[in-house]
Amino acid sequence: MYTSAVIVFAVGASYAAVPLYRMFCAATGFAGTPVVGTGKFEAERLVPVEGAKRIKVHFNADRSDQLPWTFSPQQKYVTVLPGETSLAFYKAKNTSDQDIIGIATYNVTPDRIAPYFAKVECFCFEEQKLLAGEEVDMPLLFFIDKDVLDDPACRNLDDVVLSYTFFRARRNAQGLLEPDASEDVLQASQGFADFEHAPKAEVRNGRGAPASVPNP
Amino acid sequence: MSFGRPPSISTGFQVTPPNRGSFPLDHYGECKVFMTQYLDCLRKNSSTSTECRHLNRDYLACRMQKGLMDQDDFKNLGLVNLKGDKPPDSATSPGDK
Repeated sequence: MYTSAVIVFAVGASYAAVPLYRMFCAATGFAGTPVVGTGKFEAERLVPVEGAKRIKVHFNADRSDQLPWTFSPQQKYVTVLPGETSLAFYKAKNTSDQDIIGIATYNVTPDRIAPYFAKVECFCFEEQKLLAGEEVDMPLLFFIDKDVLDDPACRNLDDVVLSYTFFRARRNAQGLLEPDASEDVLQASQGFADFEHAPKAEVRNGRGAPASVPNP
Repeated sequence: MSFGRPPSISTGFQVTPPNRGSFPLDHYGECKVFMTQYLDCLRKNSSTSTECRHLNRDYLACRMQKGLMDQDDFKNLGLVNLKGDKPPDSATSPGDK
């Protein structure tokens, strides 16, 4: 009984060792592992792979019902080569008569392209304030890393959908702006709708979900 | 370690913010003309990005000039050696312009 437990543990540990070792090396730089915090965005990686198959990136825009904005992409799709940086534009208009702060989340489908889809600069995660009646163009600079060509799971990948969802912002208990939507709507906008144990917002005071303050 | 390894706990399964953060909003439409040029070029070229990358560079140069983006080399944004650029070697004949 004890022996079989030890055996099972040893087998499990040998499976777990590979990702754990990678994480340890990446974090500490042990045995000469380069610390590549920004290795993804080095200038050498941003070179298009000529002659590779083009990937069509479709753009999708959603917004929460509480947000009186119109939000749409300005181009339906762009076909890009792996490694090629490309701009895309969205347009947002505040159709109400108040200044409103919005926050966007994004999601890339299919999931297997997600590690390779890199955004250099965009308009998500930070608050964007639109004055009453204002219309702005929001750019997005992204690329698909060329390692996608080496990944067998991504071999037949021709279409990618990049989808942004804008929410109204509200202040949470820490005084920071966050999207004003329920947790499941927020996770759905990030592609976790089908996952039972989706990542949840951190709650630090241990007294349950933070109380929200009305929109500034 | 390398960018493209399969997703694991530390990569791929986390939503990460973009490398350079967020573009400041162009409230006054200062660079809108470059944007419309780029979108027209995309329409003409059936949305193939390679043909229109020089307009990407123009748009980002406009943003940098107007203070809507941090100044940086285009090499770090992947916008060098585009179609229509003069080749960088000047050994044989010095290029004009």
